[in-house]
Amino acid sequence: MERRTLNISSLKKSSSNDTVAQELSIPKNLNLNLGENIRQIKETVGNSNDIIIREVRIGKSKKQLIAIIYTDGLADKGIITDFIMESLMLDCDTTAVSDTSNVIQFLKDYCLTVGDVKDIADFKALYSSILNGETVILVDGYAKGISASTKSAKDRAVTEPTTESVIRGPREAFTETLRTNTALLRRKIKDPNLWIESRIIGRVTQTDVAIMYINGIANDKIVEEVLIRIDRIDIDGILESGYIEELIQDTTFTPFPTVYNSERPDVIAAELLEGRIAIFVDGTPFVLIVPALFTTFIQAAEDHYQRSDVSSLIRILRYLGISISLLGPSLYVAITTFHQEMLPTAMLISLASQREGTPFPAFVEALIMEVAFEILREAGLRMPRTIGPAVSIVGTLVIGQAAVSAGIVSAAMVIVVSLTAICGFLFPAYAMSNTFRILRFPFMFLAAFLGLFGIVFGIIALFFHLCSLRSFGVPYMSPLAPFIPAEQKDTILRFPRWAHLTRQRLSNSRNMTRQQNPLKNKIKG
Amino acid sequence: MKRRIAQLLLLSLALLLNGCWSKNELNELAIVVAIGVEKVDDEFEISVQVVEPSEVSATQPSTNRTPVTTYHAKGSSIFEAVRSLTILTPRKLYLAHVQMMIIGEELSQQGVSDALDFFARDHAIRNDFYIVVSSETTPKQVLETLTSLEKVPANKMHNSIEVSEREWASTSAVQLDELIKNLSNKGNNTVLSTITIQGKTELGTNQSNVENVDTPAKLQYSGLAVFKQDKLIGLLTEEESKGYNYLKDKVKSTIETISCPDGRKLSTEVIDAKTKVKGKIKNGIPSIDVSVRVNQNVAEVDCNIDLTKIETINLLDKETSKLIKENIMNTLDTLQKEFKADVLGYSEALHRADYKEWNKIKNEWVHLFPELEINVSVDVHTQNSGNTQNSMLHNTKE
Repeated sequence: MERRTLNISSLKKSSSNDTVAQELSIPKNLNLNLGENIRQIKETVGNSNDIIIREVRIGKSKKQLIAIIYTDGLADKGIITDFIMESLMLDCDTTAVSDTSNVIQFLKDYCLTVGDVKDIADFKALYSSILNGETVILVDGYAKGISASTKSAKDRAVTEPTTESVIRGPREAFTETLRTNTALLRRKIKDPNLWIESRIIGRVTQTDVAIMYINGIANDKIVEEVLIRIDRIDIDGILESGYIEELIQDTTFTPFPTVYNSERPDVIAAELLEGRIAIFVDGTPFVLIVPALFTTFIQAAEDHYQRSDVSSLIRILRYLGISISLLGPSLYVAITTFHQEMLPTAMLISLASQREGTPFPAFVEALIMEVAFEILREAGLRMPRTIGPAVSIVGTLVIGQAAVSAGIVSAAMVIVVSLTAICGFLFPAYAMSNTFRILRFPFMFLAAFLGLFGIVFGIIALFFHLCSLRSFGVPYMSPLAPFIPAEQKDTILRFPRWAHLTRQRLSNSRNMTRQQNPLKNKIKG
Repeated sequence: MKRRIAQLLLLSLALLLNGCWSKNELNELAIVVAIGVEKVDDEFEISVQVVEPSEVSATQPSTNRTPVTTYHAKGSSIFEAVRSLTILTPRKLYLAHVQMMIIGEELSQQGVSDALDFFARDHAIRNDFYIVVSSETTPKQVLETLTSLEKVPANKMHNSIEVSEREWASTSAVQLDELIKNLSNKGNNTVLSTITIQGKTELGTNQSNVENVDTPAKLQYSGLAVFKQDKLIGLLTEEESKGYNYLKDKVKSTIETISCPDGRKLSTEVIDAKTKVKGKIKNGIPSIDVSVRVNQNVAEVDCNIDLTKIETINLLDKETSKLIKENIMNTLDTLQKEFKADVLGYSEALHRADYKEWNKIKNEWVHLFPELEINVSVDVHTQNSGNTQNSMLHNTKE
């Protein structure tokens, strides 16, 4: 019998542009004949009745045939009616139009009273314009067209961010429209050096992607690398920035995120001032930031808006909570199973009395409770708004309490697990809290098999892994490893504002100075 | 990439190989809080006091069980006896939380160091538990006595010896490492506290002991036991034990009661005591100078005395110093003449003072100690008189 082997390289070869081009077989160039163009358009879009094709005659003798094509819903009909149709049909100087030398140039120069116009040379650009909400004007007898910008301004209003809330600080969040988002960012950074590079990614979705950075502060090499990676993306659709995140990140085999995302303009602006690069994706309010370091995910925007002493203490609390969230259940399992001599005698007796009669070993108990809490948490996310809170309260309190009363788990276990879960919410960045949720389980396994030795082994392995990660070439754990003393002022503690004189070395190229002199000028006299 | 995954899988297989080696669940352990060692007819008899966790816990309702249980076994060595306890106990004995060790009189008279090797050698046993000798009773009976206020009697013994050493200074809380260090020095002399049962012993073992307002049987610490060459030779009274603690610079706080000129009593609280010992060897004759410095407060005044005058305070100082010196001299007398045991470490003091001279006479130390000249000077300083100056009843008494 012949053995069939899977040839991975052969699979890779077959996926290429050919199949996709076959699906979207678009004839390349426009025809001179308007009727032929319209026929081809109708063939390509099929029965879609929101692509509107309006044929009119303009010119004094009403002889010049043009077609106005737009998408109902994406284009602003008011602008089309008032500025395009009206100016073309009524106000256009008719005599000059009959002069057929260059109708298109004439229309562009004299008749179209809209903001920006572009030339259309082929079908691909035509569809791209129409599906972006612009209006295309095709002229009979010419193999070119004009595209006028009539994008509808219908947009979700700028509201409060849903995932990152602060007590003190701005309360606006990005929306789904790319242009609104870039505008919100421009309002924070009014410097002409804030550059935008736009790309269109996704063969079927044709999503607009904008890469913004401050020229002169951002590291040129990283900017280049980002653009190379984005241009390398070859995928059929981009629906959310998460797709791009996965396609441009450094390593895939790590639970730690190396690309930061946020829906707050002030956070993005702060990162741009540090010399990082923002990637906006049309259709999602979540903007990506590269390169992202470990400390980026532990810091919150609010740390910079509150006073420095309060922020430093809260940061220390956050680091403590993070360690509890990772090691809480594992430490409990390890100490009560292997190292009972570490507990004070009174506590040992109390814990022993709670475990009398419970059937499972401590590790199995921990696993049951952790899995139950994860299930409750996920279910709480998908629950309809009306019954969500009630069920989550029922779930956590009652089930936990009932499990203790039934003698299935011990009370101390419920305390440990709920404390761990609450500490997991200390992360300002949701992406990182998921990481620690995942990592908790291997640590519990290590604790159950090898006790404290296993936990220390796991921590060492974790540190090895973290120190080997890079985000776009920048070491993930800097400025802690490699230890850069000048940058410690914003890592674990936050020093007061007058101490922040320079920017981070590894993310920046030329512009290292943030402020010239310390702001503590004493008034003399 | 494939190699990485393969390596990771192999590593996790290794985890499965070792399983949960040396795992002990909490409900598989019998937590031992006190151990008693006694020698009966050339065999060691071990008693252990084991906690019943469900009785001691704060949350669960208690049944009518006692909070602790005891088990006893005999063996030709201590380790054998401990292991043979497994035919009695339902769970494995967990010795890491032992609070107290009680040595029987019989064993102490035969030599207490026989009992110590196992406890020093075993890896699971701590060395921070206190060792006491049972006097006029056996360790078995001590461990079986229930106490009021503390559900676990070992806790009561542990707390009591610490607090009484600190506040009353008639006991000495000796841990295993200290005891072994003392015994391994030349001279082999040491002291241990003693514990007895006050009241009717046989009533102490019943739950009804703690169901009375005044428990019929109570565990009480009495004076110190003096050992010579690791054998028990005698007991000191409470006053002499206090003197011993003064000599060893172990007094943190205690009470001294003196008589006023009019015959009534006045009590002072010693808040600070420091003893300096200096050795001297002159012409081959050793002598020790002991100087004690004591700070005290007036604690209770029962006599007609005016505390506002400086002369009164000086009188108090003098009287207290006389009293303490008398006590110390009595203790030294007992130790030198009656027991002839150097438990005070004076051999080391002389060694430190004059090493060459000491080397000449150290072989004669056993004979020299009873004749040793010890000069004691006590300096007392009264600091304040509490919240009131003169007694409010000053005027109502004549």
